[in-house]
Amino acid sequence: MRRVRALPLAIKIPLLVAVLMVAVGVVASERVLSRLQAVQERQLSDLTDAYLDGLSSSLLDPVLRGDPWEVFDILDRARGLYAAVRPLETIVLDDGGAVLAATDPRRFPIGSSAPDQPGDVRADTAHVDEDEARAYARRTLAVEGREIGSILVAIDAAPILAERREVFYTLLASNAAVTLVAAALGWITVRRMVRPIRMLGTHLTQTLDGPVNPIPAVMIPDPATEVGRLFRSYNALAEAIGERDALLARAAEEERLASLGRLASGMAHEINNPLGGLFNALDTLKVHGDKAAIRRNSVDLLERGLKGIRDVVRTTLATYRPDREVRPLRQADIGDLRILVRPETARKRLALDLCGEVDGDLPVDAFQLRQVLLNVLLNACRAAPEGGKVRMTVAADGARFIATIEDSGPGLPAGAEQVLTGGLQPTADRGGLGLLITARMVADLGGTLLADQSPLGGARITVTVPLAAGKPLPEIRHVA
Amino acid sequence: MDRHHRPTRRGVLLGMAAAASVARPAIAQSDTLRFGLTPVFLSSDLELLDRLQTYLETATGHLVELVTRRTYQEITALLVSGELDAAWICGFPFVAFQDRLSLVAVPVWRGRPLYQSYLIDAAGRGARSITDLAGDVHAFSDPDSNSGFLVTAAELAARDQRPETFFGRTLFTYSHRNVVRAVASGLAASGSVDGYVYEVLREVSPELVAPTEIVRASEWKPFPPIACPRGYETSAKTEALRGALMRMPDNGNGKAVLDLLRLDGFAIEPPGFFAPIEAAMESVRRLG
Repeated sequence: MRRVRALPLAIKIPLLVAVLMVAVGVVASERVLSRLQAVQERQLSDLTDAYLDGLSSSLLDPVLRGDPWEVFDILDRARGLYAAVRPLETIVLDDGGAVLAATDPRRFPIGSSAPDQPGDVRADTAHVDEDEARAYARRTLAVEGREIGSILVAIDAAPILAERREVFYTLLASNAAVTLVAAALGWITVRRMVRPIRMLGTHLTQTLDGPVNPIPAVMIPDPATEVGRLFRSYNALAEAIGERDALLARAAEEERLASLGRLASGMAHEINNPLGGLFNALDTLKVHGDKAAIRRNSVDLLERGLKGIRDVVRTTLATYRPDREVRPLRQADIGDLRILVRPETARKRLALDLCGEVDGDLPVDAFQLRQVLLNVLLNACRAAPEGGKVRMTVAADGARFIATIEDSGPGLPAGAEQVLTGGLQPTADRGGLGLLITARMVADLGGTLLADQSPLGGARITVTVPLAAGKPLPEIRHVA
Repeated sequence: MDRHHRPTRRGVLLGMAAAASVARPAIAQSDTLRFGLTPVFLSSDLELLDRLQTYLETATGHLVELVTRRTYQEITALLVSGELDAAWICGFPFVAFQDRLSLVAVPVWRGRPLYQSYLIDAAGRGARSITDLAGDVHAFSDPDSNSGFLVTAAELAARDQRPETFFGRTLFTYSHRNVVRAVASGLAASGSVDGYVYEVLREVSPELVAPTEIVRASEWKPFPPIACPRGYETSAKTEALRGALMRMPDNGNGKAVLDLLRLDGFAIEPPGFFAPIEAAMESVRRLG
């Protein structure tokens, strides 16, 4: 039943039409056949009556005299006279029920007892036995109200049964043809009717895997029709969704640029901090460069400072390089995050705790994941109070990579969780928009983003990303 | 009276006779030769009746009326009472009424004025004698027929048996041809039939005879004769008839009639010729 319900309309409706046609055909055929049967049996009865009438009038005398030869002679001649009745065998019985004579004396010899006839053979009515293809009838011979004998006749009913069969098969064939044609017409009509719905269905299905495409204008029928209105409504919806996506993309780009701005200023600060020390070391070299110990110390200082500047520049390049390549995630990427958020942690004197390690290369897009973790970490730093705590824990098993970012801030604003799960539209509040964009990036990686309460007091965001198990990324092979 | 009952064949024949009388006004109506026929031969052959009438009229110079009846008894009664000038009857009624009837001529078949009575049964049954037929449904031709009843009855009388008790059931078909039909169809298991008729049927209707076989042929018996009332024995009409019969083989039309009857001609036989039938009759009568 469930399978029938699951059938498309284009099949279901022609099927219904066919079932109805079959039902109508069965009822109509039954009526025709039973009417035919009644007519045939009346004709057979009339013929049999005529035959029995003719026989009884000439048989009365010889039956009264008990003359088997004359009875036989009359039956024998009647066979030729009543060929149209097709009597197969006729038996004349005397008043004691014994055979006086029969058309086939060998089967029914003189003096033998009457053969069995179907129990429901009534006088003067032909009874058709379909199995034997015979009709039976009986006529009582009476003189002056006294029964002197009877005539039993078996008539060949094969022709009328053959005719009945022929009519039956003709009805069957014509009904089958009509039903088939009706079902085919139904199928074609319904297919035409449901085509727009199917097109709408196809478009809706495509939106699950990609952008929402409106239905081309040439394919939209007259807006006065139901389908026309439906298509227009769908297109309006598709445009609204498209605009929202475009808006989100623009917002994501702005968010990226904004965080770049923050990072740039942070980086400038990162570079600026050691610069004073470096210039001091240069001055020291200029003045006391001739003293070996002082020179060595100053050069060491210079080297450390320049290395720090190099690390900052390199990490920033790795994060924002526009022509980035797909490569696997390494522990170094996690370490880079500390450098990237250092301006924030330094500014707010936050304690950043990085726990856990990943071993070797993880087959996941490192750039995308770094961006995700950076965004969440920056959010946490922003949420944590001055001198607060931020903790990131990373772990990987064979199938997935899990990162948990917690802070001691006030927790996520109301509605942020629903923004994450798609239940609420993001507002102008940056946190909301940032979270939403992060959530989309995680979704691009095939992962999930969960938000709940941290034991540190603030929010806890758990990022889970599946690893392409047994399917190393191209970059890994290249590096290897 | 029978004229009104069976108008078809008789009407045609009488109509033809009337037409002939118009053509030949010299012959007086009272001169009509009334000739009776029993179902001893193939009575249903209209062509035969027509030719016979034509021949007899030409050969005797009399208008001829052919009179047929269903049973021997009816024709015999007409003949004995003088209603008929002559009739072809069976030897049995001739002997029975020999004091009131005279012989006109006896047909000659296969060279002799003799024929046989056959006992027949269904082909393949293999009965060899009358004793094999005990308890049968037996078809006789006519109670007044020599070959179709008396011969069989006399044979049983010789064994102190009567047909009604020897056979399971007997029935009369009132024609030798019908005896063959009754046995061929299975209505009767066996029958007593005129050997001459049976042989002629074998030629003209082989399909009718085929399902039957001869159990035994009797001794040769005197052929059914042409007889006339004793009072007409020497009348001119009887003489004319006898002459016509005797001349039949020499006349084209007469020969044609004989050919249809499969007969050679006619012979004059002495009254004692029918003594064997008389003996048979006596043996049956003795048994009561």
